[in-house]
Amino acid sequence: MERLRHRLRGPWRLAIRQASMEPTIREGDWLLVDPTTTRWPRRGTIVAFLEPDSGALAVKRVAGRPGERVPFGSGYLELADDEAWLLADATAEATAAAGFGEPIDSRRYGPVTVAALIGRVWFRYAPIGRIGRPPPRTLARPTVPDHRRLDEPRPAG
Amino acid sequence: MSRLTGWLAPTTTARAHCDLPCGVYDPEQARIEAESCHKINEKYAANEDVAFRTRAIAIKEERADLAKHHLDVLWHDYFKPEHLATVPNLHDLFWNATKQVSKVKASTDAADSRKLLDMIDEIDAAWKATGGADKTRVAGRPG
Repeated sequence: MERLRHRLRGPWRLAIRQASMEPTIREGDWLLVDPTTTRWPRRGTIVAFLEPDSGALAVKRVAGRPGERVPFGSGYLELADDEAWLLADATAEATAAAGFGEPIDSRRYGPVTVAALIGRVWFRYAPIGRIGRPPPRTLARPTVPDHRRLDEPRPAG
Repeated sequence: MSRLTGWLAPTTTARAHCDLPCGVYDPEQARIEAESCHKINEKYAANEDVAFRTRAIAIKEERADLAKHHLDVLWHDYFKPEHLATVPNLHDLFWNATKQVSKVKASTDAADSRKLLDMIDEIDAAWKATGGADKTRVAGRPG
């Protein structure tokens, strides 16, 4: 009950800074968030969460769900039961065009645990010309190279 | 309308996080590393102790790598295509300087490291000609 009360405090509305979700979400967009979400939603959903490194509130798209394998380096990582893999929509070229450096996402800070999930982004209510649901993106289950997990111990010798 | 906007405005900000280049670029960073290489070459020539010379070579290679890194960052991040109007030979300057760093890394001849310093000075002139000191340093270059 206390957890629910804590979640109901929000945030319910977010203003966006920076450009790693271009073109779906742009700097200056105002978003509505469902903070009652307590599990990682389906792949392709945009979520608000606290970044593992900085603790900063950020938005990204779910690209891998708990238990799934995601490509990483020359192999793959297997996400734990409470972890998701969150990726930016923008390419490095798109963020550079907007005056920023490379997008920062799970490729930089790794998997994100569900404890860091703040909510599901479900609607953009400003600016007026862009009101509506941020276009969903259907993301297939990540395909990974069939060789070794990068997080498993290397064989001796 | 502005009251309505104020009421609707989010009170929380979230980042669609990207790297944020700091925007500070100065050829002096590369020059200091290149000066280290030059001084090490001078010390190398003046000391025949094997252990000293081995350490000198290892440290010089590290410094040369840093010099090349700083030149690359300057070339790729500070200079823009419009700067070619002011410095038409910009790419040649960097191409030759980074090649010279590789030469300095492999050589212990002070003439090679002196040549690198001269090349970085030419890049420094290009940086100044394109307003680098005013655009990228907090209060110009100290001194």
